[in-house]
Amino acid sequence: MRRAVTERLRAWAMRRHGRDSLPINIHRRRIYLMPTRFGFMLGAILVAMLIAGLNYNSNLALGFAFLMSSVAFVIMHHCNRNLQRLSVDVTTEVDAFAGHEATFEFALRNASNVDRCDVEARCHAGSGMGSIPARESGTIEVIAPVARRGVTVVRQFELRTRYPFGWFFSWTYVQGLITIYVAPAPAGTKTLPSAGAKGGGSHSDARGDEDFSGLRAYEPGVPLKYMAWKVLARGGEAAVRSYSSLAAQPEWLEWSALDGMEQEARLSQLCLWVLESDAAQRPYGLRIPGREIAPSGGAAHRFACLRALAAFGSDHAAEPGR
Amino acid sequence: MITDRVSYEQLLGISGCLGLALLAHVTALPLWVLAIVVVCGVIRLLLARRGSGAPPRGILIALAALAMPLLFLRFHTFNGLAAGTALLSVTAGLKLLETKTQRDIYIITLIIYFVSLAALLEGDSFWLLGYLIGVCWLTTATLLRATSSGSAHGWQRSLRYGGRVLAQALPLTLVLWLLFPRLASPLWQIPSDSRTAASGLSDTMSPGDITQLALSDEVAFRVRFDTGVPPASDRYWRGPVLDTFDGHTWTRGTSGTGGAPPPQEPQGPAYHYTVMMEPHQHRWIFMLDWPSTWDQPRAELSNDYTLMQRDPLSRPIDVVGTSYTRVQYSEPLKPGTRRRDLRQPADRNPRTQQLAQEMRGAHPDDMDLVSAVLGMFHQQPFYYTLTPPKLADNSVDEFLFDTKRGFCGHYASAFAALMRAAGIPARVVTGYHGGMLNPYGDYWILRQSDAHAWTEIWIEGRGWVRVDPTAAIAPERVEKGLSNAAGADDSLASRWQRKTPWFAGARLRLDLLREMWRERILDFNQDSQRKLLEFLKIPEPDGQKLVLVMGTAMALVLVWLTWQVHRELAPPSKDVAGRTYARLCAKLAAAGVARKPHEGAEAYAIRVAHERPDLAKTVTALCRHYSALRYATPSRSITLGQFQASVRAFRPKRAMRTL
Repeated sequence: MRRAVTERLRAWAMRRHGRDSLPINIHRRRIYLMPTRFGFMLGAILVAMLIAGLNYNSNLALGFAFLMSSVAFVIMHHCNRNLQRLSVDVTTEVDAFAGHEATFEFALRNASNVDRCDVEARCHAGSGMGSIPARESGTIEVIAPVARRGVTVVRQFELRTRYPFGWFFSWTYVQGLITIYVAPAPAGTKTLPSAGAKGGGSHSDARGDEDFSGLRAYEPGVPLKYMAWKVLARGGEAAVRSYSSLAAQPEWLEWSALDGMEQEARLSQLCLWVLESDAAQRPYGLRIPGREIAPSGGAAHRFACLRALAAFGSDHAAEPGR
Repeated sequence: MITDRVSYEQLLGISGCLGLALLAHVTALPLWVLAIVVVCGVIRLLLARRGSGAPPRGILIALAALAMPLLFLRFHTFNGLAAGTALLSVTAGLKLLETKTQRDIYIITLIIYFVSLAALLEGDSFWLLGYLIGVCWLTTATLLRATSSGSAHGWQRSLRYGGRVLAQALPLTLVLWLLFPRLASPLWQIPSDSRTAASGLSDTMSPGDITQLALSDEVAFRVRFDTGVPPASDRYWRGPVLDTFDGHTWTRGTSGTGGAPPPQEPQGPAYHYTVMMEPHQHRWIFMLDWPSTWDQPRAELSNDYTLMQRDPLSRPIDVVGTSYTRVQYSEPLKPGTRRRDLRQPADRNPRTQQLAQEMRGAHPDDMDLVSAVLGMFHQQPFYYTLTPPKLADNSVDEFLFDTKRGFCGHYASAFAALMRAAGIPARVVTGYHGGMLNPYGDYWILRQSDAHAWTEIWIEGRGWVRVDPTAAIAPERVEKGLSNAAGADDSLASRWQRKTPWFAGARLRLDLLREMWRERILDFNQDSQRKLLEFLKIPEPDGQKLVLVMGTAMALVLVWLTWQVHRELAPPSKDVAGRTYARLCAKLAAAGVARKPHEGAEAYAIRVAHERPDLAKTVTALCRHYSALRYATPSRSITLGQFQASVRAFRPKRAMRTL
């Protein structure tokens, strides 16, 4: 019952506000407020106080009851204010492994002169709480478990607060677009295809300067130690030193190499290979049905591969940066 | 988080607040109830100190099973203020013992609020209200600390926050208090509490009773005269009339219960006044002798002319009344009444009866006889003293012939006994005499030390005539320490004050404050609300208009509150140029071109010019002005004032959107 009401409210808020462009400054018109059960208890006590005061015709008791009611009213405003004019941004892409947790980072900026205490962010069944002092920024991490591989799009998240006193809670829905790439859990028993043939020895030799093969354009994700700092210092384009060993012996992680395995197990194995290759700093490419990623190295490449694995089987385009 | 365990510190805070709230009930609650709460709190705190949780539920149930019957034995009901408060206190104590989570803290907080309210239902002093508001402030701060996560909230900060909340709540409280419609009669009958002891005069008088009152400084009632003030010799405030005498004690027997009072014809001037009664838990209201009209629908004159309320006075009331100090009775005394007012035990006070017979023989005329008895009091060594010797069964005999020392009660008792023995119907009237004027507030204060007893005798053709035998005692025989007590309008307290004039002044001023508190705050009622509306120039005020006015006032206060709460978000900045620019941006945002957070003034102007060519010229100029005022050296093309004016005049139209 309660869940159904919440769902309808969420849908209504979605229709009402439409897609928000982040970062968004939370306007008071999109903040909703309800008493908590302690608020209802307080309300009942206040009514009892009022009736007692009226019945005994005691002006002091009435005054006291009115004072407490007014305090509750002020608190209601304060609770509502606790979210107002907060500026919210959130990471639009989140990577995670199945069976682990996804971490959403909410960046909140409080430009006002009032501390915002106990602001709770809720997203994808996870929640996190934080306080942002006046005129400061802060992040709230929401950690949500993700069970299954795939690409999920979270279209709505929620900020809520019970501060102060927990008599009321106010909340707001923000329509963002967060894509969660849940890569398969890395698992498998097979060794890398090339592991037997080429040992680790040649790899370590590959670091030698004699293997230097030239410069290529910088792309994000390349380890900093390969940066051509001297070129950059001379005023040239950012470039990366390229080594013959890296360029010459790419490893292809192939879907077809794992014939006879079940689909998810294959993906898990590929995921493990990606991580192993990345840790060994060896160039690798990924070839799975419908997707081929040319051999390369670095974090951006790793993410591209993991996202491709996450998106396998779904019609979701897993291009980074979208 | 709600499931959080409570910490030792939170427990300490909330127990402290509960203790402070119960302190307001310390005189009213049975001691063992407080003991239960204290023991529960201490046990729970010790457990928390050691890091263990709440005791098992079984102990609680056992304690509750023990406490409830005890409570019922003590009060015989769970209804009513005293029993309810005791029940609530025990519940709070047990709750404290089982406190585990924040939920329990919330419940204890609510109990604290309600217990505080209960204290205000029975007490009515300014200090009590202030104290309880302080307790609630503390409780609220404790709750804030308990419910907000993190250790960000120190005590000081919590208290400051609580104080600000209270301050912001004040205007709304005031509006509600002033304008919330009051009930004309209670929703249901309040169970009367016999716990509050009756004070002042009672409906019996033994020798020495009033002496105890004479030592009390407590205010019995206050009086404000609308027209003239009667002379001191006429300022007798009529209380219970005692007509049954057993030789020692006078009691208010059947008097006053049968039928309407005998008709009187007023003579002389009428006095209009307001009696502001303090609650004394008796039914009578003190009116100037003899009362004629009064404005209390729940009170009526008994047939001996004492104004009686239907229920005991448990709260202060104001009675507007009229009295005549001279009256004439037109009808003869009813035979039944005459018989009653002549009756006295034949076997008691034989010497008095003999004396009465002798004097009656010498003075056949009633008034002559009265003069003779008063003359006897005057000439013989009768003393007026606060410390009379104890009297046994034949009290009048002993007083008249042996001790000859007494207070007003002794004289009234002896005089009435003599009159009855001589065949003149007589009765003792108790009440107050005199009073002290408070010059600061122009009203009279009647203290318990002004309590007095006098007599009334029935004279054929005149009716009941007041005789105050105490006044007949020769002044030189009024005991030294009491030099003023016998005087018309002095009391023990006022004598002490005479020695220290500043103290007297301060005391009278304080009494004025107390009186104002009573009149303005405690007695605020439907009538006061009507006057308030009249003051606001609202024609024909009634309940409906009151609600309307309240609604309007509340709306205004709520707007103020919203403004106040949100103003704190961004107080007005001192940077005028920046503020004006922000206003320009707001106007443009309303017109559909909102500034992006990263955009500077110039970039924004270019984008506006691109998106809204109609605004291009103005906006470009304004943005350039802003940059100049903000960043360039002063005294360029435009002054700050001009910039402000042009922004104010800028009214961009909303773009026509094609959807």
